[in-house]
Amino acid sequence: MKNRSEEYIPLVVTVGQVAIFPYYIVWLKEVSLTFTLFAWLFAAFSFAAAWGYRVFQSKKNKNNSYIPFIYVGMGIVYILVGCIKNSFEILLYGVLLLQVILGFLQGYFRAWHIEQKAYHLHAVHHYLIVGVTMIGLSFVKIISPVVFITFFGILLCTCGFWTLIRKKKAELI
Amino acid sequence: MQAIKELSIKPWFLGSLVFVFVVVILWNIPIEKRKYGLSQGNLATDYTGLLPERVERVVKAENRMELQKIVKQANKNGQQISVAGLQHSQGGHTYFKNGVVLDMRTFNEVLEIDKQEKTIRVEGGATWEDVQEAITPYGLALKVTQSQSIFSVGGSLSVNAHGRDIRFGSMASTVKEMTLLTPIGEIKKVTRDNSEEWMKYVFGGYGLFGVILDVTLELTENDVYTIHTEELKTDEYESYFNNLLDHNNTALHYARVSVAPNTFLDEMYVIDYNYTGKQDHKSSLKGEQGVHLSKLALDLGRQGGFFEDVFWETQKLYIDSIDGNTITRNNAMRSESTFMEFTKSGRIEVLQEFFVPVNSYEEYINDVKQLLSPNDKNEDFKVHNITVRYVAQDNLTSLNYAKEDMFGLVILIQHGLKEKEIANAQEIIQDWTSLTLEHGGTYYLPYYRYQTKEQFIKSYPEWKKFQKEKLRRDPNEVFQNLFYDYYIK
Ligand SMILES: Cc1cc2nc3c(=O)[nH]c(=O)nc-3n(C[C@H](O)[C@H](O)[C@H](O)COP(=O)(O)OP(=O)(O)OC[C@H]3O[C@@H](n4cnc5c(N)ncnc54)[C@H](O)[C@@H]3O)c2cc1C
Repeated sequence: MKNRSEEYIPLVVTVGQVAIFPYYIVWLKEVSLTFTLFAWLFAAFSFAAAWGYRVFQSKKNKNNSYIPFIYVGMGIVYILVGCIKNSFEILLYGVLLLQVILGFLQGYFRAWHIEQKAYHLHAVHHYLIVGVTMIGLSFVKIISPVVFITFFGILLCTCGFWTLIRKKKAELI
Repeated sequence: MQAIKELSIKPWFLGSLVFVFVVVILWNIPIEKRKYGLSQGNLATDYTGLLPERVERVVKAENRMELQKIVKQANKNGQQISVAGLQHSQGGHTYFKNGVVLDMRTFNEVLEIDKQEKTIRVEGGATWEDVQEAITPYGLALKVTQSQSIFSVGGSLSVNAHGRDIRFGSMASTVKEMTLLTPIGEIKKVTRDNSEEWMKYVFGGYGLFGVILDVTLELTENDVYTIHTEELKTDEYESYFNNLLDHNNTALHYARVSVAPNTFLDEMYVIDYNYTGKQDHKSSLKGEQGVHLSKLALDLGRQGGFFEDVFWETQKLYIDSIDGNTITRNNAMRSESTFMEFTKSGRIEVLQEFFVPVNSYEEYINDVKQLLSPNDKNEDFKVHNITVRYVAQDNLTSLNYAKEDMFGLVILIQHGLKEKEIANAQEIIQDWTSLTLEHGGTYYLPYYRYQTKEQFIKSYPEWKKFQKEKLRRDPNEVFQNLFYDYYIK
């Protein structure tokens, strides 16, 4: 039982991230004022991801990974993005913060993921599933990118709670 | 090399990198997002964007002969023309339904500077910024302009603008000569003693009496001032100001009234620019400074309630800190403006200005106190800022707002854009206007027209004459705009 959730959830997360990314970029582009700012928001994400990656790598006890919280954290960021309907004065400041949090969490998750037994298998499945998903999504007339972003946020939160419950159960056994 | 590599993978190093980068981005997030004006699709708007309208075409003004041809043709073909400068007016003064808009921004050359006579001849589309750049190297400065340098010369004269100077009278009085493209397509040189009184109607004429092609403005020295700031109670202001006016020590002056709940309309601070006897021929013009901090502080104030109190206290601290600084006249006439940009969707920030005779100020403020709620945190209609300036009596223009020496209260207001919210704002502003009229005051016309036509008539008793002259000088009503349509037609 433990193995199955360990096997599938990270795959759902990686596939979901790639599939949702185009929507997220459309949203980010809409809120950025200029290309420079758009590029800088990306850079902030990237630096934060490098940081998150290293934070996991330098952990002494890699088994105690907080991964359910990482999922929930990412989920909350996507749900927040989904909730932002209008642009307001300080939105860009908020977006910058979200970029840093998301970058950090994704970097951390990636560092954790590659340590997992199933990672190499995931890599192959990931590409295949992403390909199929993207073709599928291309047929869906989107209402608004935030709908998908919110949905993915909820999915991530569910994965987080699920993993947490599993972990607690496993500890009890 | 090895050391750098090791450093670069340390989590604390990467964390610091993120932190530094985030700070850099925060500092570089541009403030201006709002777009308005002639470039917005095929609907023309102005600073507030409240009155979008389809226009036939926009002509970039570059050549006076071309402009003349357009005006003559319009007379023949029954077309309408509006004139647009930088479009900071807010009531559709720069365009008209299906009309031609002359975009004057490209008509901005400095034609001549006479150092001896202290004059500058400049085209109507030039901004005060262009003028300041040209005259600063000569150690010269403008006599009258607004507090910011972001407006066009033609636009400012057409609203007969005012600023912080308390010595040189109205903006119109600083113009020696003007070249005008009249409504029937003549190009005329007009001086102050012109018997046809063109200046009387063109200045403060809202682009309805032709196009200001160029003007010759009187200049003064680029004096160096020391800044004097002080905190006052509202009831002390009248005597403080009269004293200032009687003693010739101060050149520029303005004040601000608290709109924070704890000190609502009770506290003020004043800023005076006092002569030092020195002039400046060297130092350059300042750019926009501290925009992010000012914007952050203003955004804080925009939250209302407790935060507005914090904002007021912060302003006072800042004002206190500049007491004793020195500044050149040119730099005092180019305050920052970008930090005011407001971009919340579904809401708008507009300006209104009321004028009251200097000696009615105290009673007036006491009455305004009864009209507004001190804490507007939970209300739709919010007052963010009130600045007070002195406006000397003006006998030179037809639609003059200063029939005697007045204080102008510039008010920054925020309200929602739903029909109900606009109606509510309109009601409050109309009440405020009636109150102002009761005190022998008027209101300023370049802003959005919340007022009724009756209030306009009471404020500007000479309007009938203005209308008559308009029809006499522009028999085909070629020059039109939404302001004309609403108030005068
Ligand atoms: C943030 C802000 C601060 C302000 N501060 C002040 C202040 O301190 N003091 C003050 O008095 N006012 C102030 N105003 C009002 C402002 O001065 C006027 O709106 C002024 O007209 C702006 O110049 P503009 O170039 O934007 O003119 P526009 O808005 O483009 O035009 C104003 C009027 O002038 C006419 N016009 C423009 N160019 C010409 C021309 N060449 N020939 C004939 N007619 C022409 C237009 O048809 C229109 O009727 C402020 C406005 C804003 C938004």
